[in-house]
Amino acid sequence: MDFSWDPEQRAFRSTVREFLAAHLPSEWESLAHGPGTEWQSTFSKQFCGALADAGLLVPHWPKRWGGRDADPWTAFILAEEMWEAGEPRGGQYMNVNWIGPTLMRFGSEEQQQRYIPPMARGQTLWCQGFSEPEAGSDLASLRTRADKADSTYRINGQKIWTSYAGQADTCFLLARTSPGRNGISIFLLPMDTPGITVRQIPSVIGEGDIHEVFFDDVTLPATAMLGEEGKGWDVVRTALSLERVGIPRFALATRMLHRAVDKLKQSERFGAGAIEQAAKARAACEAARFYSYNIVDQRRHGITVGPEASVARFATVLAERLVGEFVVEHVPEALSGADQMLLSHHQRAIVAGIASGAAEIQLNLIATEFLGLPKEPR
Amino acid sequence: MDFRPTSDQESLVDAIDKLAMQFQQKPTEFHGFALAGHELERELQEGEYFDIAQVPEFGPLTAAMAVERLARLPFTAEIALSMLVRPHLPGDVPRPLAVVENGRPGRFVAAAKTLLVIEGERIAIARPSADAVEAVDSLFAYPMGRLKHSVDLERLSEADAANTRKWLRVALAAEVSGLLQAAIASTVEHLTLRKQFGRPLGTFQALRHRMAECAVLAGGVRWLTLKAAGTGDDGDAALAASHAQESATRIVYEVHQMLGAMGMTLEHPLHLWTYRLKALLSELGGRGGQASAVAQYLFQAPRSLG
Repeated sequence: MDFSWDPEQRAFRSTVREFLAAHLPSEWESLAHGPGTEWQSTFSKQFCGALADAGLLVPHWPKRWGGRDADPWTAFILAEEMWEAGEPRGGQYMNVNWIGPTLMRFGSEEQQQRYIPPMARGQTLWCQGFSEPEAGSDLASLRTRADKADSTYRINGQKIWTSYAGQADTCFLLARTSPGRNGISIFLLPMDTPGITVRQIPSVIGEGDIHEVFFDDVTLPATAMLGEEGKGWDVVRTALSLERVGIPRFALATRMLHRAVDKLKQSERFGAGAIEQAAKARAACEAARFYSYNIVDQRRHGITVGPEASVARFATVLAERLVGEFVVEHVPEALSGADQMLLSHHQRAIVAGIASGAAEIQLNLIATEFLGLPKEPR
Repeated sequence: MDFRPTSDQESLVDAIDKLAMQFQQKPTEFHGFALAGHELERELQEGEYFDIAQVPEFGPLTAAMAVERLARLPFTAEIALSMLVRPHLPGDVPRPLAVVENGRPGRFVAAAKTLLVIEGERIAIARPSADAVEAVDSLFAYPMGRLKHSVDLERLSEADAANTRKWLRVALAAEVSGLLQAAIASTVEHLTLRKQFGRPLGTFQALRHRMAECAVLAGGVRWLTLKAAGTGDDGDAALAASHAQESATRIVYEVHQMLGAMGMTLEHPLHLWTYRLKALLSELGGRGGQASAVAQYLFQAPRSLG
């Protein structure tokens, strides 16, 4: 066991930090750069384009798709630095983390040629059409239909809570091709296809983050299906396992905790009560960090990641919660205009236990698969 | 970063597990608090396990793994301080070791050959004569003892005191980590076997979620402990001890709730782990003490690279 970074990893982290210093606008920290805003989406294309030119957008992807087959640690160091900086890639982090890799694994040659190069150049945004009004945690009960007619599918239904839908070029869509769990298929749907209506939902997360998406007789060629008909669930499982520890939330949470503590110290308000809570939050951030590192280490050694991914995810939720509560109690002025960076983080942190599967679903998985408790009856 | 144990670490942990096999069960006739493992201690001594941290291919990280595994046993002995703190004390001090913190009774004090006497910020070493210490009855599931009268103290320099305090934190966290794992495993067994309303308790979500949270906390303690032992960093040690005491406070409550009346009995072994954890909650200044250390080492200067 070794808890130190090797020289190559240190050098890579420095390279990423230098890139960020050179490419983030000087007023970056004072901007309300919510991940789904129009400004962020436009900026992300410029920023990700520059990342791609520097070989820093998809280093962990295969050479064929513009990467250099870098190991999982490289990908994670990159993700840590990006998230800690406030995620200047915006919604494109999804392309890098899981949409690209999922397409490489399940996509047809035509789909790969069409969709992967724009991702590798940092020029495209995707959204994830999973949740529906009646299918949240119980995702398998989704109702959006894809009816086959000759060589096309006609999509009808509704998605909700869809991040980045207002800016996305393509939707990674789950729809029902027949009843039951084995009736779910995946479609790669261009968002300019006629019949799609997107409505933004005003939210505490900030502008442009969550949406309703309606599909009225949206017609797609059968070649838009990803993988086999009815096998969508297997693809989703792969995608979710990539996403679950894809966001190093602990990195920004740690930085924001230090930022809040610095503010308290400057105004001589870092007293005993605040110290105890700050220590508790700092330890939770560090625990989340090492849980996540453990997953990266397993991937690095080719070990199939099991319920540890859910444990890592929940540890991250605990850390985000403690940092959020610390800011609310000790630096409340940050949420009233005194610190845009703390405010933006606070807006985004509420998502930690909800997006990509509710934390309570993770707790169920931990109870059964990690602790070995008997399953609850359904 | 590489989290695979080395082959040396694997073989040592295997050897520890083998040695521990015969101490896995609480003797059925034992209905007390301090289940002292004299035989366990003798075997560890004979196998020279107390000195593993000084062996270059093992080091403190492997010692922390050993402490953690041995803390899962129903039997207890003075292991953590001997393995993790003793190597960092000036000179070669005899074991067992014990801590006397601000005059309070402490674990293993009555049998200790070396005492670490903590008075506020100061730490001193003492070699108590047999009549200077005595055993005390306690609710804590360690053999507890106290200093009867003042003894000659050899005060540590500020640097040695800070270093000793750091390794005391690592030792505390490693002990807590093992105890938490044992308490959780024992509770999971109960929730799997015990049925109410016609189904195992472990199928009720109200309990499952709480146990899952306990598992997340306990695993976090383990990671922070291993990291602190591996890096020997002051901040890492403070974080490990802080997370250990925070998590133990919550988990002790939860597992007793899960066990219900069964956990109140001295027949069930749960108290051997939880009433040890309770003894550890106040050590080294408790959560406030660890928080001050975190503030001292981590919230002082701008953060460094990685």
